[in-house]
Amino acid sequence: MGDLVARSFPPLDVAALTARLEIPEDRAEVVLGSLTSAYEVIDVLDSLPLGETPPATAFDARWE
Amino acid sequence: MDAYELTIADAAAMIRAKELSPVELTESVLSRIDAVEGKITAFATVTADVARAAAAAAEAEIAAGAYRGPLHGIPVGIKDLYETAGIPTTSSSAVRADYVPEQDCAVVEKLTAAGTVMVGKTHTHEFAFGAVTPTTRNPWDLEKIPGGSSGGSGAAVAAGECMVGMGSDTGGSIRIPASVCGTVGLKPTYGRVSRRGVASLSWSLDHVGPLTRTVRDTALVMNAIAGYDRSDPACVDVPVPDFAAGLLAGVAGLTIGVPTNFFTERVDPEVAAAVAAAVGVLVGLGAEVREVAIPLPEYILPTEWGLMLPEASAYHQEMLREKGDLYTADVRLFLEVGEFVLATDYIKALRARTLLQHAWRELFEGIDVLVAPTLAAPAVSADDLTLHWPDGTTEAATDAYVRFSAPANVTGLPSLSVPCGFTEGGLPIGMQIVGKPFAETTLLAVGQVYESATTWLDRRPAL
Repeated sequence: MGDLVARSFPPLDVAALTARLEIPEDRAEVVLGSLTSAYEVIDVLDSLPLGETPPATAFDARWE
Repeated sequence: MDAYELTIADAAAMIRAKELSPVELTESVLSRIDAVEGKITAFATVTADVARAAAAAAEAEIAAGAYRGPLHGIPVGIKDLYETAGIPTTSSSAVRADYVPEQDCAVVEKLTAAGTVMVGKTHTHEFAFGAVTPTTRNPWDLEKIPGGSSGGSGAAVAAGECMVGMGSDTGGSIRIPASVCGTVGLKPTYGRVSRRGVASLSWSLDHVGPLTRTVRDTALVMNAIAGYDRSDPACVDVPVPDFAAGLLAGVAGLTIGVPTNFFTERVDPEVAAAVAAAVGVLVGLGAEVREVAIPLPEYILPTEWGLMLPEASAYHQEMLREKGDLYTADVRLFLEVGEFVLATDYIKALRARTLLQHAWRELFEGIDVLVAPTLAAPAVSADDLTLHWPDGTTEAATDAYVRFSAPANVTGLPSLSVPCGFTEGGLPIGMQIVGKPFAETTLLAVGQVYESATTWLDRRPAL
């Protein structure tokens, strides 16, 4: 995962349209800044070799 | 000693012996609320009428010989995320200011069946999304925060406004207020206690559990609330022990893992010294110590945030669009950011969680429990939510607190926070004891033997 390029978010309105969430113009800068900060944390996972590791999800097909 | 100052265990013994009535105990607690609530604001709602009716019913039952057990007639505070039939459940948010559930959540059903007396709904950081609880102050120092998100429960228990406060813990929200308010707090194993009817912050990380004054009291509450519930998909159908039965097992023969990394970095020197001294106490009581390295430490917080942000935004998706202006600024911002975390990155965090689980399983080979500071620092000022480290750097209080508590959320392992000292300024310090899956009884035994060997419980906040 080390060859992923750094994220670049602007324009935020593309993501907002995808999410169907209106971000008022006067809030766009602060949301963008916080999103960048959040991804600075989350993107550390890019360096973790995941291989065939499955996600830690669970679904119980039993009815009772 | 006033009745509100009793532990649950002591009050229960007196109630059972008919030396104390639930009505007397409840009136004592309600009087305490009247006396100190103006300084602390631990409660979103005080349910005095409900409490008086429940206490009277408990008294009548006990008089008729129908004693239900050690929680019968015991005053409890319920975090305002927990649904309570006919009683406002606001999640301390204007978004749900008018929400009155029709049913109790699973834990409240069980507490009611055990005969408890609900004295009120305790404040949370809005929708549990923060470690501050800005509505509420710390009983040990009214200029300080009570931690969060279960800050109302931590403050209320520390101040004697209830004998147990129920909390929820997604990144540390039971153990953080327990640590900074000087109470015991248990985040059980993921799946041990049903979360049905508790507003979610992050389904894959949420846990519910108690905050109490003593370890024994936590065990008594766990006996009432633990157990499988099909309606919570995370609940696990495993045997439920008597959590109080092994409290006196001691630590002889147990091996305590003491971290050499992660929990040693950016930690307040007074906190580090208190926990080191506590480990020394446990060694003196017969425990063995093994130094251990926390595996994959750099991936713990990315996994926590990678799961929590998008899950929280999914829970709030409709409310954010309909009532976005009603959220507080910090919570609204978190929810907006979570909308833009890609599903592929969320799944990456889920896969990282699998690796972390495997690594922590290996970590526990050769140790019975891991002992570490609950938090990197004691309570910060309500006017400055920043930690100032000796190297000149700063860190937001929530980030600093979650740093040490999040590992048990990501791994789902049980973690018990117990008081282990005070700073020179008189603020409580907490030690967390982390265990293997569903090994809460081991944690409680370690916590009990430590609590019995020390005198931290003797201190009370001067209110």
